[in-house]
Amino acid sequence: MASESPSAVRKVVIHLRATGDAPILKQQKFKVSGTDRFASVIDFLRRQLHKETLFVYINSAFSPNPDESVIDLYNNFGIDGKLVVNYACSMAWG
Amino acid sequence: MENEGTEALKYVWKGAIPLQIHLHDSEVATLPPPPPVLILAPRIGYLPLLAPQIKPLFSSTLPPGDDTVWFEYKGLPLKWYIPTGVLFDLLCAEPERPWNLTVHFRGYPSNILAPCEGEDAVKWSFINSLKEATYIINGNCKNIMNMSQSDQLELWQSLINGNLESFLKVTSKLKLGAVDDDYSAKLYPTIKPLSDAGNTDNPGAKTGRIPVRLYARIFTKVFDDLEDAPEIDSWEKISYINRPIGLDKDEGKCFALSDAMKTLLPEYFGEGNNEKTTEAEVKEVHSEDADDTKDVEEATTSVGEHTETKQPSVSAKIKLIRIQGIEPKPEIPFSWVVNNLMNPDHYLHICVYLIHC
Repeated sequence: MASESPSAVRKVVIHLRATGDAPILKQQKFKVSGTDRFASVIDFLRRQLHKETLFVYINSAFSPNPDESVIDLYNNFGIDGKLVVNYACSMAWG
Repeated sequence: MENEGTEALKYVWKGAIPLQIHLHDSEVATLPPPPPVLILAPRIGYLPLLAPQIKPLFSSTLPPGDDTVWFEYKGLPLKWYIPTGVLFDLLCAEPERPWNLTVHFRGYPSNILAPCEGEDAVKWSFINSLKEATYIINGNCKNIMNMSQSDQLELWQSLINGNLESFLKVTSKLKLGAVDDDYSAKLYPTIKPLSDAGNTDNPGAKTGRIPVRLYARIFTKVFDDLEDAPEIDSWEKISYINRPIGLDKDEGKCFALSDAMKTLLPEYFGEGNNEKTTEAEVKEVHSEDADDTKDVEEATTSVGEHTETKQPSVSAKIKLIRIQGIEPKPEIPFSWVVNNLMNPDHYLHICVYLIHC
């Protein structure tokens, strides 16, 4: 509804935000294919931060399951044309 | 006063699948091999929660090493964060009773399955799914985040003990409410209307959106009997769609399950009027991670082609819709489905088999 996007969008802008003592990345905005799974976002963060255990959230609220597609997440929870992804090295929002 | 849940909801909570669990041959280190274990698995539960009951029966035959439990069905590792009932409805075209599963305690396939460290991981996943659903319903999930530790524990305990009464008691505080269902009473006078006390002091499902997780198996060949449905050997063959359904109260028209399916799968049910050039975003559930990018690129282009060529859309045929083990008629009011067949995580998990030639 509010987050209804133009149907042509295939790429999604992801805004990565560090939480707690997680290191901040130099580049914080990425374009990702909408058909990517959320798992690929988690993997990307793991590789960037060299951490096995990471907690990754949407809108500082919840952690979606790894199979969800980025476009579904964007359509459901995107804000101002971006999908906000928070990451933390320890559990941030339960 | 109290919301006791509908009759159907009580059945959902009592629903269980008889499992016959075999230890994988490679993990049998004694002779004779241990007999399979028969166990009833709650539909709304999750497979790793069975480990404490199963493990003692196999532990004496296991080779040395650390235990990480996982299950497979005909070679397909089962995703532990999908409710057991949904796995059964999705993977067993013709219900098999008992359902023969293989358990492993070694060699966790971490390239296919997300890591699972026992009950805490399952609880975490459940609570997050509930939070996500709440976000869809309310536009935020403050109600869950502000839950007391004891309420959260009670919520989890109610799920693992199958205690609907206690579950409804805790979740009534979350103000997630039921959706209005004026149609079912008219169509099926024998159905008792839902007396949801929580609804009166509830501003209502604020966004009017129903959280749905849809699992679609798409077949390209026609088959008559469900037993002839081709087996699944990879999660990539299942489309996984998370799209909420908007329940706008317009013109008192009944919004049926079949209407919901058209909304969820626009790429398969071109309704003729294509004013909303609906974007096909059927998401393949990838299991590989390493060569993901390449696969994904290919998937993207193929989806693109589909949408462009679909103008006089070829309609797919619904072979089967299964929710909580039942196969509701397509004309059933969607609001009835939501109020009665919702999973405890407040998602409606729908399995659908489509034939698309």
